[in-house]
Amino acid sequence: MNTPSASTPGVITRKGGNRVGIIFSKEFREIFRDRRTVFSVVISPLLITPLLFAALGSLINKQVKAARTDTFSVGIVRQEQAPLLFSALNKLPNFHFVPTSLSEAEQQIKSRAYKAVAVLPANADALLKDQKMINVKVLVDPANDSSREATTRLNLIFTEVGKKIVEKRLRDSSLPAGFATPFKVEEQPISSGGGAATVILAMMLPYTLAVAAFGGGIYAANDQVAGEKERGTLETLLVTPASRRDIVLGKFFAVAGVCMVSSLLAVVGMMIPFFSGLKAFEWLAKGGVTLTPIAVLVILAVQLPLAVLFAGILLAISTFAKNQKEAQTYLGPLFILVIFPAMMSMFLKSDSGKAMALVPVLNATLIIKQGLSNSFDPAFIALAFLASAGYAALALTFATRLFQKESVLTKT
Amino acid sequence: MIEVHELTKTFTDKKRGVIRAVDGVSLACRPGEIFGLLGPNGAGKTTILRILATILSPTSGTASVAGFDIRAQPEMVRRNIGYLTGSAAPYERMSAREMLAYFGALYGMAPGETADRTREIFDELDMNDFADGRCDKLSTGQKQRVNIARTLLHQPSVFFFDEPTTGLDVVSSRTVKRVIRRCRDEGRTVVFSTHIMSEVETLCDRIAVIYQGKIAAIGTLDELREQTGKTAFEHVFLKLIGEQEDE
Repeated sequence: MNTPSASTPGVITRKGGNRVGIIFSKEFREIFRDRRTVFSVVISPLLITPLLFAALGSLINKQVKAARTDTFSVGIVRQEQAPLLFSALNKLPNFHFVPTSLSEAEQQIKSRAYKAVAVLPANADALLKDQKMINVKVLVDPANDSSREATTRLNLIFTEVGKKIVEKRLRDSSLPAGFATPFKVEEQPISSGGGAATVILAMMLPYTLAVAAFGGGIYAANDQVAGEKERGTLETLLVTPASRRDIVLGKFFAVAGVCMVSSLLAVVGMMIPFFSGLKAFEWLAKGGVTLTPIAVLVILAVQLPLAVLFAGILLAISTFAKNQKEAQTYLGPLFILVIFPAMMSMFLKSDSGKAMALVPVLNATLIIKQGLSNSFDPAFIALAFLASAGYAALALTFATRLFQKESVLTKT
Repeated sequence: MIEVHELTKTFTDKKRGVIRAVDGVSLACRPGEIFGLLGPNGAGKTTILRILATILSPTSGTASVAGFDIRAQPEMVRRNIGYLTGSAAPYERMSAREMLAYFGALYGMAPGETADRTREIFDELDMNDFADGRCDKLSTGQKQRVNIARTLLHQPSVFFFDEPTTGLDVVSSRTVKRVIRRCRDEGRTVVFSTHIMSEVETLCDRIAVIYQGKIAAIGTLDELREQTGKTAFEHVFLKLIGEQEDE
């Protein structure tokens, strides 16, 4: 084996092209060769999320079906004093009323012999005949789901039976139906409004998107500086003609790109249940989703400042940390800081006050909510974009400054 | 050509206070010579090389590398140096060929020029068998050959080798030394840092013994032997840093 020859040494003056672009392109390509990133950015949102929704749907359908067909065993106290009512109740489907005593009722619910126990007053049939109100007490175990479910069903049944009794009384007295029910309210969806499933999407999408943008960038950012320090490759890059600014910007754009791809694929993954028309997602997409072109644009646009902000923060942490393990330690609490405002968007209305436009992450998620409900507040959106751009610029400046500090870069 | 004048680097440590990692170092390395930096671990060798490669800034003093001032023209310095350390690894998820294409672009080389040079280096370092596989699948010796290829790619006039044989077997270590000699023979300036006496004896034309951030002595092997009155280089070294020899 010979050693490589080279021409006579002289001063190298070649300038070199766009080094930020060269570094970005290499980093972005290399990031997607990391199985951890491929799993969290591509496989998880496109496969795992829809599969989870399908599994959840199947579970919910099973429970709904069971609730419709299951027979509830319910104890009834003083049924012997109310044969009329007892006979009417026993005709109802999915209920099995069993006579019991008040002294045994609590123990029977606890031992799950009965889901609940209805306690009738001593003179129930007489009260019914005299057209007086009958107070029915239902004993329930609040810690037991089935007991609560049976109580809800009992409540509905007594209401239904009550309605039928009222109708019969009105008929017997030759009174019209409106006598007892002066109002009947009917909902009529407006033609330009969103489908019923939009509400579910508006609740889940902003949260998913924010978490995906941050979570997707974690491995990439960790690998970019902390990982390079650990493997000894950062020094190799620092001795090339690329300036520190070139290096940090190239890496920053790569991480921001991954955050963007991650949130975009999270959106796609989230849309699959709503737009695929598959039976597995019927429970979720029932009622339809209305997505206008403007809503799509807003959802896409809002991801940019989020990705830039997250990339700046993640890269700063990766630069500050000695190694990937240390970076992970800092990222745990930070993830909670991101999740919290993202979760708040689930409970806040899209037209919450202007001050919310200044809260990072929350502002972006509320804009998505506005987009999905097709009710934009231009002032809120402008303020939110300005604030997000400001935070993103701060994060990038911080990461760049940190990258200039040799004490941080050579920390191993 | 490298000229260093009164170079000093201090670090501040919360517990230990101000540490003078490099303390008033002056030296000159000429083209066509291998200049050794010999010293125990923590003597300041790596810090000196990092300053000359513009990774660190000196606290005081001046230095020029390939005719460029390290403070005023850091980018020109970096264009003209090759830097290889024993602790550096190639990019795990890239192949050797991809890595050279990347570094060629960073050094401003045209894609055709990089491809030609890559072919030449791969042939000469016997790298063709593993040139297209991911670097994380390579052996330690193969990885170091990828690093050597990266260092030689842009044909710089100055080379810094910082303990480049760390962890290598005899065969790989011999390749590294052969490359270093070849660089010297082509008229390039080579700075070789190590704590291994035998490497200094077989490779270096002149040596600076570094101890506690300062130059304890500087000269050829013969000059240092003459100065200390010792023959075995380990004894020469111990005498120069003021350590007692074992009986």
